Amino acid sequence: MRDIVLVPEPEESLPGMTVSNNQGLLQWISSVDHKQIGILYLWLSVLFLLVGGIEVLLVRIQLFVPNSHFMGPEMYDQLFTMHGTTMIFFVLTPAIFGFATYFVPLMVGANDMAFPRLNAFSFWATFFGGCLLYFSFLAGGAPDAGWFNYAPLNQYNYSSSQGIDYYCTGLLFSGIGTVTASVNFVVTILCYRVKTMRLQQLPLFVWMILINSFLVLAAFPSLNAALAMLLLDRQLHAHFFSAVSGGSAILWQHLFWLFGHPEVYILILPVFGIFSEVFPVFSRKPIFGYGMVVGSGIAIALLAFGVWVHHMFATGLGNTVNSFFAASSLLIGIPTGVKIFNWLATMHGGKIRFSVSMLFAIAFLIEFTIGGLSGISFAIVPIDWQLTDTYYVVAHLHFVFIGGSLFGLFSGLFYWLPKISGRLPDERLSKWFFWLFVIGFNLTFLVQHALGAMGMPRRVYTYPNLPGWTILNQVSTVGGFLMAAAVGLLLYVLVKTALVGKPAPRDPWDANTLEWTTASPPSLKNFDRVIPVRSTRPFRDYKRPGDVDYKEEPDRGHMEDPNEGRPEAPGTPVRAAASPAGEKNRDYSLMIKLVVGTEAMFFVCLIMAYVYFSFVPGYTAQSGSLDIKSTGMFSILLFSSSFTYWLAEKNYGSGNFRALKGWLLATIALGATFLFGQGREYAHLLHDQVNIGSSLFGTGFFTLTGFHGLHVLVGLVIIMIITGLSFRGDYADRRSSVIRTVGVYWHFVDLVWLFVFLVVYVSPHIFK
Amino acid sequence: MAIGLLYLYYKLTGFRWPRKSVLFILAMLLFLLVTCSPPHYLGMHYYLSAHMIGHILLLLICGPLMVFSLPEQPQTLRRFSSFLSKRAWLAWMTGVGIMWFWHIPSIFNHMMSDMPGLAVMPLLQAASLLFAGILFGWPLFGPYPEDRVHPLSGIIYLAAACISCSLMGLLITFAPLDTYYPFAGIKRMDNLWGISPKEDLQTAGLIMWVPCCLLYLGGCLLLLRRWLTGDDRRRNKHIIAVSN
Repeated sequence: MRDIVLVPEPEESLPGMTVSNNQGLLQWISSVDHKQIGILYLWLSVLFLLVGGIEVLLVRIQLFVPNSHFMGPEMYDQLFTMHGTTMIFFVLTPAIFGFATYFVPLMVGANDMAFPRLNAFSFWATFFGGCLLYFSFLAGGAPDAGWFNYAPLNQYNYSSSQGIDYYCTGLLFSGIGTVTASVNFVVTILCYRVKTMRLQQLPLFVWMILINSFLVLAAFPSLNAALAMLLLDRQLHAHFFSAVSGGSAILWQHLFWLFGHPEVYILILPVFGIFSEVFPVFSRKPIFGYGMVVGSGIAIALLAFGVWVHHMFATGLGNTVNSFFAASSLLIGIPTGVKIFNWLATMHGGKIRFSVSMLFAIAFLIEFTIGGLSGISFAIVPIDWQLTDTYYVVAHLHFVFIGGSLFGLFSGLFYWLPKISGRLPDERLSKWFFWLFVIGFNLTFLVQHALGAMGMPRRVYTYPNLPGWTILNQVSTVGGFLMAAAVGLLLYVLVKTALVGKPAPRDPWDANTLEWTTASPPSLKNFDRVIPVRSTRPFRDYKRPGDVDYKEEPDRGHMEDPNEGRPEAPGTPVRAAASPAGEKNRDYSLMIKLVVGTEAMFFVCLIMAYVYFSFVPGYTAQSGSLDIKSTGMFSILLFSSSFTYWLAEKNYGSGNFRALKGWLLATIALGATFLFGQGREYAHLLHDQVNIGSSLFGTGFFTLTGFHGLHVLVGLVIIMIITGLSFRGDYADRRSSVIRTVGVYWHFVDLVWLFVFLVVYVSPHIFK
Repeated sequence: MAIGLLYLYYKLTGFRWPRKSVLFILAMLLFLLVTCSPPHYLGMHYYLSAHMIGHILLLLICGPLMVFSLPEQPQTLRRFSSFLSKRAWLAWMTGVGIMWFWHIPSIFNHMMSDMPGLAVMPLLQAASLLFAGILFGWPLFGPYPEDRVHPLSGIIYLAAACISCSLMGLLITFAPLDTYYPFAGIKRMDNLWGISPKEDLQTAGLIMWVPCCLLYLGGCLLLLRRWLTGDDRRRNKHIIAVSN
């Protein structure tokens, strides 16, 4: 009898409910099952692929001949902006998150994600964001300032239609979905792995999702800050990005690209993970250099935040700044190169099977390298000055986005489609799709390198009749339509598979990881038992017990079960020993720390903008109108609310419920008083005609303190809810982690105020 | 001071010279380089960037190198080590905080203008950076494996410090010219390499930003390598087995 492991099952369910496999259509809308949500993400991605594709086909028709009048510049601007925004945020991101949502729990031997309802929320937030963005077409015009939406073009006086406001709000909502999904991934991967799986045995796709999630948590706050500031500029006439009133248009670029560069790594890292699964399976060899793949992934994630200025080489920041970022941009090519060599080495000497998935993987190696080389050429500043904002960039980004991310998604699609749908796709048609798409893609974008080098600028609705431009554009357009035909074929393949495909076996590819141990498609409950995991290829070890990846270690029993505390004789089945309460505490604790971390980044961006503005002469002089004394007093009250909450936590721990309730009420009182004090300060300032639109100082002050106040308000509402619940007797069992979790958030909010107070109120007096 | 530290180290190793002492000697040499040598003079009187390089060396290289080179055996530092290990955030705050502290313009300028008199302040600054570097590196590379944080948490520790460092670098790069006025004025007099004050300020900020980040990244990769090769675990097992 082989060793088997019991997977910890959730013990609580809603009363009166039973688990059933009824797949009615309406069930999809209310589903919290990660597999269904994963499929929803994937369909969303396909839908927006079609929409974004149609947008760009129209663009390419416009570019078919010089001086074309197929459409005017306004329409053109909207189409290319929406094409870019759609493809990045509503095709690539949902597809990646779809695969991750579906497969991360399966690959770690869990029965669902850590927070299933949050999972559903993440999807619907993304979907809602997309709807909001597209509603702009009906509301007076889509955003038309490019997907990166530079200031001052994005300001209300230059872009008066509401399109950009929809851009901001749509992306804010879908960004919330992305961030919450990432929190979910981290907690799932770190806390819900099957007991025998150590982190060094994590499948590489899961590793990349883990690293990627941290990237998301750190990068999206910068975008959110920029979008929030832009909304304030546009709606309330704040002065963040308008140079006329002391703001800084380039601040937008800094904030956007601080997000934007990590974003491109967010879109490629999981795909690297997919390839790290596909290459070993279809070469029948283990991945070459597991540690290097993980290490280079972490290196990419960390370096990603140190290169963003390379998008701004042409903005006149100076040679000094440019040279540092040129160096770091050259450096970041190294970890990626390491991975390419790892995959090549994996293939070397293996028995390669050319499934469609593998074909896309091999094509990726070539196309992504081309994209990478054109990218590295941009790290050399003078070359960037010549080629930026030309079609060379367009070629580069499409080679990495399509040749990299999209090929990876297609590779993953054909790899995992049998598992998801339970049916095998038509191999012949799929190969037709592959070739049609690759030929179309290369036709479209290879020539654009030449067009860019010849000087054709991007984002301009037409071009003059210069020698060579027309024919190249026509080739590009023909290629675009070939790609469209290929996508049409893909849809046909997908539908045909779903309707009449051959039933797929459990393990069609003779693969290595845990998701292939389930049925195709997996049942609602993924696993009853999980095979033991002793290497990075657990399923393969199970299928080939004579050729396992791990070395037998005689005293493995010592280190295996930290929960047990006693060495086990090797070979006995391992049980999930931790109590459910203990597990729940650990994952809520991790979750709130991640949320606090991402909110901290958001405040860092706001504070940095504030400090940046304080360098403008006259800015801090206006802070003379601030009432430091009373705000100081109210601040002390806020800090003491942290203390009272801490007392509440202590009393909860020792079982004194009356004291718990009392201290919670005290916390609410103190927090509310602080908000009252803030309100007083605001009232005084507004009375003196200092508001968010009056001056740069007003803008900075009200935004920073306003967002903080919002966080305090949210915290107070939550504390009021838990106080009410504690009066009802809800926390009597002393095992709940809610009080402690909310406490982390509340202490964080107070800590932020310490920094805000120092920066806004105290520092003008120090730095006079 | 260097000799004093060297003697202390010798005592800790039980009056032997293990291989890791090379690292300690290297750290001491760098320390001397930063505090007493021509680059130091350059940094004090001429270029903010040179000053910056020196301090980064102290905080992020000398300090951690010293920690790294400490041998495992002596029980002298055990209590200090286990105290610190429960409060890794304290070490983090020290490392990060001292950086922000010395960069507050009023403190920085005050310290620089102290110079013609006693040379105490610069030495104090150097010593404080060295000490902070030791504390900062302790939870990551300290001599007692069971007092070290888990390598993956160490990566987050370093990444957070890196963010802080980058933020400050950013601020300095874009700060107005007279923030650190001793450097704004001095250079105009004899400017050896023709670097303008503005460029110098930017360079200093950028050095703090980019190469400094690479140092943190290097630390992360070291931690990762240690985690993946299971060094600590084997050491831990040995210690647990011995204590059993």
